[in-house]
Amino acid sequence: MTDRMSPKERVGAFLTGKPVDRLPCVPLILNHAARVLGVPVKAFATDGLLMGRANVTAFRRYRQDLITIFTDTAIVAEAMGTVLHFPEDDAARVKTPVVAEPADLGKVREIDGRRSGRLPVYLEAIRHCVREAGDEVFVSCCYPAPFTTAALVRGTAMLARDLIRNPALAHALLEKCRVASEAVAEAVAEAGGIPVLVDPVASGSVISRAAYAEFVLPYTKSVLARIAALGHVPMLHVCGRTSTIIDLMADTGAAALSIDQIDLAEAKEKVGGRVCLMGNVRPTETLLGGTPETVMAEARQCLALAADSPRGFILASGCEVPIATPPENILALMDAARMN
Amino acid sequence: MRPKEPAARRDEILAGLAAAVDAMDEEGAVRWAKEAIAAGLDAYEAITQGLAKGMQVVSNKYDTGVYFVPEILLCADAMYAAIDVLRPHLRVQGRGSRVPVIIGVIEGDIHDIGKNIVRLMLDAAGFPVHDLGNDVAVSAFVDKAREVGEGIVAVSTLMSTTMPGMGRLVEALKAAGLRDAFKVMIGGGPLSATFAEKIGADAYGANAMEAVRLATEWEKVTT
Repeated sequence: MTDRMSPKERVGAFLTGKPVDRLPCVPLILNHAARVLGVPVKAFATDGLLMGRANVTAFRRYRQDLITIFTDTAIVAEAMGTVLHFPEDDAARVKTPVVAEPADLGKVREIDGRRSGRLPVYLEAIRHCVREAGDEVFVSCCYPAPFTTAALVRGTAMLARDLIRNPALAHALLEKCRVASEAVAEAVAEAGGIPVLVDPVASGSVISRAAYAEFVLPYTKSVLARIAALGHVPMLHVCGRTSTIIDLMADTGAAALSIDQIDLAEAKEKVGGRVCLMGNVRPTETLLGGTPETVMAEARQCLALAADSPRGFILASGCEVPIATPPENILALMDAARMN
Repeated sequence: MRPKEPAARRDEILAGLAAAVDAMDEEGAVRWAKEAIAAGLDAYEAITQGLAKGMQVVSNKYDTGVYFVPEILLCADAMYAAIDVLRPHLRVQGRGSRVPVIIGVIEGDIHDIGKNIVRLMLDAAGFPVHDLGNDVAVSAFVDKAREVGEGIVAVSTLMSTTMPGMGRLVEALKAAGLRDAFKVMIGGGPLSATFAEKIGADAYGANAMEAVRLATEWEKVTT
């Protein structure tokens, strides 16, 4: 089972509707890249060269169709003033949100996409990957959409209350997060990466369809339009359940939707005519806890349900490939795409 | 206006408390709690027959996709505001003294929506709850169990990667000589009654109502 096209040729052809040797396959290898290089996540998350080397090493091992630079969902919130805690070998978490009280809105920092917080870490990682592997594979950088950043700037439970009690504050905050998100898109594109939005907090497991329409859709739409204007294919990933919001996710203008807990047949029926679908082998149950055989079986089921989706299908993990996933399971996922 | 019959007045106040919780109406919940005290209602009854009934409706609405996290948080705010009014009037003896529950999300997992809903329902049912939060080390559960002495340990996770921590918790309670003093219930997405049995926990609770039912049942056995 050898590929005839390089990941870059394949994805380039796929996205422009030209023939491909097989469907693309993109396990979301994020912090797992640190494990491939054998470095703790904290070191990886704070050192751009290390993050870049880890991602290139992971790509050499798995030959996945897209490099996905990412370590935590709080990178933009951090640049805006939220303080994080860095566990030794796990993704960073919020320690103190910058807007703990409504009066703190003024404390939010306007960001410089090239310099604020740890954004330079991501940019250096992108440049390293482009330098080392850019002729073989596209390099993307996954970072949080405005709603998720707002949740981490305000505290998720406080933003959730604001949606009902203080929508004006929520909108003011989201507008700041939109501006920051667009600044990041520009810096990522300038460094040679494809900006990809991820929005775990805007999941249908957390907020209603009505809340998605009011507080998520307009801001995400604006950032994706900026990404398209920068010459990139706008992509959006939402974790958890998305059955109630998938049509609104397609309304954001995303050309590809990466989805997690939803039946691919349902997704294909609802939005397959408008967007390329990407998913959704279960990360913990199957990739982490399964065997190459169970991974292969579930990947084949995904392909059976969605390989014929009108705007295309990319075989992928539903969400981040867990850090401790056995490498043979990731290789099995890649093989499933090759055998299709 | 003729004063209402006591039973009708009692029902009106309990329904008011339940409706205020469901309506996310913090001020209304506080107002009804004050009326409960003024009318001489038992504070414990106001919580279990009023506020808890409201939280049951809220919990059902969450399970059926009517309410989401923002709504749950505001309903909980209303409930706790009313509990703050009622708490000083709780009689320490008798029905108000229930077995303590230690609750937390196992180490490695920060998903605490489910745990928080169970916690709310236990609070509403009048159980003294020690909430250890999320990403809780096995040793922190054991330390708290040692401090509390006896009762119930409720532990959850949404991720299959962190499930083994629950088995370690049961073992650690045994090693500390505390296993017989505590009933252990587990809950969360990837879990099952089979898994509970496998690791030696006492039960699996499929949802918040089930958790309260188990705790109430165990209490009857132990007291």
